[in-house]
Amino acid sequence: MNWLIRALSSSLGKKYVMGITGLLLCGFLITHLAGNLLLFVGAEEFNHYAHTLHEQKALLAVAEVGLFVLFVAHLILAVVTTWENKSARKQDYDVNQSKQGTPLLTFFPHNWMWITGVIVLGFILLHLVDFRLGIRNPGPEGEEPFDKAVRLLRDPITFCAYIAGVIVLGFHLSHGFSSAFQSLGLSHPKYNKFIKCAGTSFAVIVAVGFASFPLWAVLFQ
Amino acid sequence: MSHETINLTLKIWRQPNAEVEGRFEEYKLEGVSTHASFLEMLDILNDELIEEGKEPVAFDHDCREGICGMCGMMINGQAHGPDNETTTCQLHMRRFQHNDKITIEPWRATAFPVIKDLVVDRSAFDRIITAGGYVSVNTGNAPDANTIPIPRKDQQKAMDAASCIGCGACVAACKNASAMLFTSAKVSQLALLPHGKSERGERVLKMVAKMDEEKFGSCTNTGECEAACPAGISLDNIARMNREYLKATLCSTES
Repeated sequence: MNWLIRALSSSLGKKYVMGITGLLLCGFLITHLAGNLLLFVGAEEFNHYAHTLHEQKALLAVAEVGLFVLFVAHLILAVVTTWENKSARKQDYDVNQSKQGTPLLTFFPHNWMWITGVIVLGFILLHLVDFRLGIRNPGPEGEEPFDKAVRLLRDPITFCAYIAGVIVLGFHLSHGFSSAFQSLGLSHPKYNKFIKCAGTSFAVIVAVGFASFPLWAVLFQ
Repeated sequence: MSHETINLTLKIWRQPNAEVEGRFEEYKLEGVSTHASFLEMLDILNDELIEEGKEPVAFDHDCREGICGMCGMMINGQAHGPDNETTTCQLHMRRFQHNDKITIEPWRATAFPVIKDLVVDRSAFDRIITAGGYVSVNTGNAPDANTIPIPRKDQQKAMDAASCIGCGACVAACKNASAMLFTSAKVSQLALLPHGKSERGERVLKMVAKMDEEKFGSCTNTGECEAACPAGISLDNIARMNREYLKATLCSTES
């Protein structure tokens, strides 16, 4: 197992894990978004989906532990690599100027994956407190999932935090998705444009998709 | 061109040696020909400093024709200055305006400690090469030119990777001071050719291990290195190194 530990502690190994966990978490976002879209279909359909999902106790336990492991691995590696990268240049330049024509990189701070990551972490913690643990805003006993979602999403703090959170998540994904492919060595002139395009589209779909739920709850419910 | 000669304010990093704290100093330089190269402009400054009995600004240079990779400094926050695929020695003062203020800093990376002023110690690159950037199989006499067929596209890719001059601009421009572009170019140039293939796995493992040991940062795929590279080394090389390393890790015989 020495080879595995050595590989995972190398700079490239850490990026592989970062990329793989990131892409798997993207997979979770798709299923989460698909499930949530049932809100638009109707209360009955959404409740049926939620109840069926919650009945799968063994599956949920595995999924939750799996997600937790993915998330923690992604987070720990982010902290470790950011710290290592910071110490790779102890003294910063007096003047910083990108040589890339893209205004995106000059507009956003250099460590925007770290900044957006921290904001997304805050958003996810709030989301878990609200929906999974029900601490901040507990509802009545036996509340149906649809009513719970609408009630929580209409809360002004939740509304603002969720919209901001998912937009920042979109920015995180707009770099992260395509970057994961490069980290895993999956680069080819034939597919690179497609991967970049897919990454941007995915980021927009996730941001717009998830932002639509609080907007819908406030405007139409 | 509005001026044949320009006046400049230079803000230059001065540091006597690695042990002493450095600081910026400002110099006024008048009547610099726009035909002068950037290094010639620094030569003119140094002549004036010497005449005034001051310590001249130390900077690395050798061939002054963009081949050796010795020169290199951060000019207004850009490695080798504002031009693409250009080394500092190939940069000319016609790229600057009359009365411009130019900030000149050394490459900044933990792995590249400052020796003096704008001169940094880049021997970390040499140690990465020493770790595996070579072919050690005994090749005997030169074989007949056509006995080992090499597809033209492979030869071109290898040559593109081999055009890295090891100047360190990739490390300097990267927000993480990562040496991935350099290391990947050196891994690629050998992995693409038959002569380097037998040792490719071992090579990439050793070179990456040395790169990490030298305290370079890791890659966050921002592409700043590629934009700053005077030799036009492509990010594809980093992807190739990532593949090589993955393959070598999975297939190596180590326990």
